[in-house]
Amino acid sequence: MDKKPFFVGYLPIPEGLRAFLISLTVSLVVFMAFVGITIGATQDDPGNGAFRFDWRQQTVTGVIEFVPYPILRVTEGNERIPAGHTLMLTGQGKSTIRTRVQPMAGDLVALTGVILKRGELDMMQVAGGNRGLKKVDGPAPDLPAPEPLGRWKLAGEICDGKCLAGAMRPGRGLAHKACANLCLIGDIPPVFVSSQPVEGSEFLMVAGPDGTRLPDRAYDLVGAFVQLEGDLERRGDLLILRMDGDTMELMQ
Amino acid sequence: MSVKYIPVQWNRFKWYYDAAMLAGVAAFLWLFIHIAPGLLSHERPINPQVHNARAFGACAFVMLSIILASGPLARLDRRFLPLVYNRRHFGVLTAFVAVTHAGYIIDWYFAFSKSNKYEALLFANTSYGQIAGFPFEIFGVFALICLLILATTSHDFWLKFLTAPVWKRLHYLIYAAYVSVVAHVSWGILQDQRNHTFTAIFLASAGVVAGLHLLAAFKESRDADPVADAHGDWVAVCRADEIEEGFAKIAQLGDGERVAVFKQDGLLSAISNACAHQNGPLGEGRVVACFVTCPWHGFQYDVRTGRSPAPFTEKIPTYNLTVKDGVVLVDPKANPPGTPVDPVNPEGV
Repeated sequence: MDKKPFFVGYLPIPEGLRAFLISLTVSLVVFMAFVGITIGATQDDPGNGAFRFDWRQQTVTGVIEFVPYPILRVTEGNERIPAGHTLMLTGQGKSTIRTRVQPMAGDLVALTGVILKRGELDMMQVAGGNRGLKKVDGPAPDLPAPEPLGRWKLAGEICDGKCLAGAMRPGRGLAHKACANLCLIGDIPPVFVSSQPVEGSEFLMVAGPDGTRLPDRAYDLVGAFVQLEGDLERRGDLLILRMDGDTMELMQ
Repeated sequence: MSVKYIPVQWNRFKWYYDAAMLAGVAAFLWLFIHIAPGLLSHERPINPQVHNARAFGACAFVMLSIILASGPLARLDRRFLPLVYNRRHFGVLTAFVAVTHAGYIIDWYFAFSKSNKYEALLFANTSYGQIAGFPFEIFGVFALICLLILATTSHDFWLKFLTAPVWKRLHYLIYAAYVSVVAHVSWGILQDQRNHTFTAIFLASAGVVAGLHLLAAFKESRDADPVADAHGDWVAVCRADEIEEGFAKIAQLGDGERVAVFKQDGLLSAISNACAHQNGPLGEGRVVACFVTCPWHGFQYDVRTGRSPAPFTEKIPTYNLTVKDGVVLVDPKANPPGTPVDPVNPEGV
């Protein structure tokens, strides 16, 4: 027969149970506190990408190209963004700036916006309205032709360039996949993070073959560690991988 | 026990319980959200929205683990029964914490696009045919729906409206929610972890919950209530001298029901073992102030009538019993709930 103290919620706590319940309560509160601080203080580093609001809005002049994602080949830069640099372009949020800049493809334009930067990877979020995009009088200068760098087989991760560059920290990985897909659906430039530097760069813009956008099959493997093949080219200082969707494999 | 529905039937213990629960949750969230960032040596901080989402998500998981551990703990050691007493408040708070986690996620990862953020949650990742990159969010959505159903129906109104057996089956959804949360975490954040501290805590928590359930199941199978032997139209429960004053002996009847035979004032009475409130094991309770008292929530019954004391209206079935040659015999056909039955002298009739 059970002779232990009998607990009834609406009656005073039995004397024989009081010390146990106090110990249990303190233990549970301490346990919650310990687990909270332990998990919170052992999170992975999300990387150094960020919106560079501290730089304020940057204005640079250059020529817009579509590869097929919009980029700016900078012809007249500033101390932070030198001439010869190639900037990937994005609109606000998870939206492309494609429709705004499409009529000015090949023209000389001045773009103003906030820079997102993670290491060598950067992107401009172009400001809204006329302030963000202005046609510059005069002909566009001749730019160096794209430099073919041959066919490459690479291992790494496909991400959306904006979150990876610092719109979100962390902005890559499988836990971030749905967000990355949503950005890519919004036509944000995709970026391949190579496991080994390629021509000195860890980040490459990635697109489909023959000037097409990212192959549909790639969406299933965004954020995963994959191996793929494609043709590499350099535009300004930006590497562009034109991936062959059929070669893409999930790496274990 | 109640004669009318009120939001919460507060008593002193419930205040203590909720205060401790809130203190634990507040400590978890405060340390995670406000103190942990200062201990991280990251060049740039994790986005506050992501950090907060992780804090609330991890907190909800730990709370759910404690809730699920408390049941088997109480079955293994009755001193843990007070943890179960006000567990519904713990569950409702867990649902709020989980909703906050979902809110941060949806307003961050699924916002800023031209699509509706709730629609985006469903279409952004549809890679259901693969393991790596599986849309783990769907597990979280399912778990959240379960938690909201449980929180919404946690009040005694729903318990009475649905009846205890249906309500209890509905609330087994907590297990589906927990499994879904485990899948949500396993296919989500764990895929990207380089520091495995959270992984270890997660696996340990899920392992403890599973282990305690297995231990409790083993104990219950080992200490199962005896099956009453048939004696003609009656069944034998135990010997009359085995029952102590104020306590009961429980036996399984042929139809799967359990009967609890109590001794009160030296006389024996038989009632259903299932409390009318949440089917708590009345036979594991005892007589307090002349009434059989359920060990789960303290619902009380007059053992001679199966009725709660006025003004309360709960009723449970009673059983006819007799004592023959020192053996307690029960008629396995239960009387309608609340049917008075004269107590029987254990010395026999």
